[in-house]
Amino acid sequence: MSEFEKLKIVTKYELLKQFRRKRFYGALVLTLLAVILIIALYKGLDIPGKLPALITDSPELFALFVTSASATIPIFAAVFFAGDSIASEFEHKTGYILFPNPVKRSTLVVGKYIACLTVTALIVIFAYVATVIALVGIYQQLPIEVFGSLALALVYANSVLGIAFLYSSLLKGSMGATIATLLTIMLVFSVIEVSLIFANIDPWFMHGYAGDSIASVYGIPFAAAWGGGMPAGMEERSPDPATSFFVMLGYFIVPFILSIWLAKRREML
Amino acid sequence: MRESIVIEGLSKYYNGFLALDNLSLKIKENEDVALLGPNGAGKTTTLKLLCGLLRPSSGTAYINGVNVVEERERAISMVGAILETPEFYPFFTPEETLSYLGRLRGMSGQGLKSRIDEVIKLVRLEGWAKVRIGKFSRGMKQRLALAQALLHDPPILILDEPALGLDPRGMIEMREILKKERKEKVVFLSSHLITEVVQVCDKVALIDHGHLLVYDSILRLKRKYRKSLEGVYLKLTEGAI
Repeated sequence: MSEFEKLKIVTKYELLKQFRRKRFYGALVLTLLAVILIIALYKGLDIPGKLPALITDSPELFALFVTSASATIPIFAAVFFAGDSIASEFEHKTGYILFPNPVKRSTLVVGKYIACLTVTALIVIFAYVATVIALVGIYQQLPIEVFGSLALALVYANSVLGIAFLYSSLLKGSMGATIATLLTIMLVFSVIEVSLIFANIDPWFMHGYAGDSIASVYGIPFAAAWGGGMPAGMEERSPDPATSFFVMLGYFIVPFILSIWLAKRREML
Repeated sequence: MRESIVIEGLSKYYNGFLALDNLSLKIKENEDVALLGPNGAGKTTTLKLLCGLLRPSSGTAYINGVNVVEERERAISMVGAILETPEFYPFFTPEETLSYLGRLRGMSGQGLKSRIDEVIKLVRLEGWAKVRIGKFSRGMKQRLALAQALLHDPPILILDEPALGLDPRGMIEMREILKKERKEKVVFLSSHLITEVVQVCDKVALIDHGHLLVYDSILRLKRKYRKSLEGVYLKLTEGAI
């Protein structure tokens, strides 16, 4: 039997495992609640009315607001799905049953990754479908940029998976891997990015900055609207979507290859 | 006669601690061998090395002539194993677990299905075949561990404390299964239960602090020391902790 056949088997059963877990359905519910909350805030607080005159309420602004905010849930989902993917085999001793089989560790890691990517993508798509339904319901329009934003959101979620897999292969416990991934993305990367901005260095290569392309793809001219003086905490962030795509791909490829290498070397002590 | 398992100068260090020291052992095709020794002697380390779960610090091992270190997947395809206290995915049923493992071992279709039914019946889990493993006791998981080890009908069984967690009835049933399987397979097991060892195996390898103390047939050891196997064990491991 070829490794590809084995990969299909691993992916199938890893997917079954993911669909049997409550966290998948919990993530779906949370995503839906987040979308509803953000729409309620957008309309209830009249967000477009509080922005400079140059920015008016539009399907693009609505989509930007809802998708960029609700995209946080799928990111958390990616971390929680992937955080225990490798580590739990060692921590919960399931590896004693899985590893003594004629299948390469790399096949197991790739199969687990495909399953995690599938469930994460389903949640990201679910968030966008909810947004699209709201867009059509409220504006009777569907801006084409939503699809670009969705593609970038999927690449961003994929890069989060890569980082989570790295920690899952490296650390002993699932919880440690999950926390380390969140801290890296939300704290370490953010601190570096802010420092680079203060040092007048364009942070185009940073993970979070590239992730902002999910919003910048809508082309809302925030900087022009404020005449260069953005409100505190809303400094100009308009990463190039094409560059960001490759940056996020890099944040997936490098950690994921490292993850496979580490998983292959890791011993079942 | 062909050698099913060959261990050549196998050593293993854990962060500077020598767990296995230059162990060499040969198990022939028709032999069933028990690995005996006090806690921390290196029994589980030996079995893990044979299954490719650990990398040896030096030395190597062969399963039916296939180098475990260099061709792990090919070597392990000839082995059914229970190692330490294995856990299963709690979201799967025994049927799903065995189906997953069977497919990974190249089984499929009706053949796999009927073999799953067969091994589930053998370990007496018929009533639990469609129940999620999350609800299982330690003993039931151990029965399932034996089922997965036998699933692909491997020529070699490597079992680390196979009766661990089983109730007295479970222990007897496990022993009966192994007594039957040893007729066609090589059984290499580690155990603290001398009664189990005497009934299932014909040879013992006694190790302590990673060293091989003795490797011989139970009969010869009993004659040589004029003691029961238990007595031999106690004599040779005197002072060991």
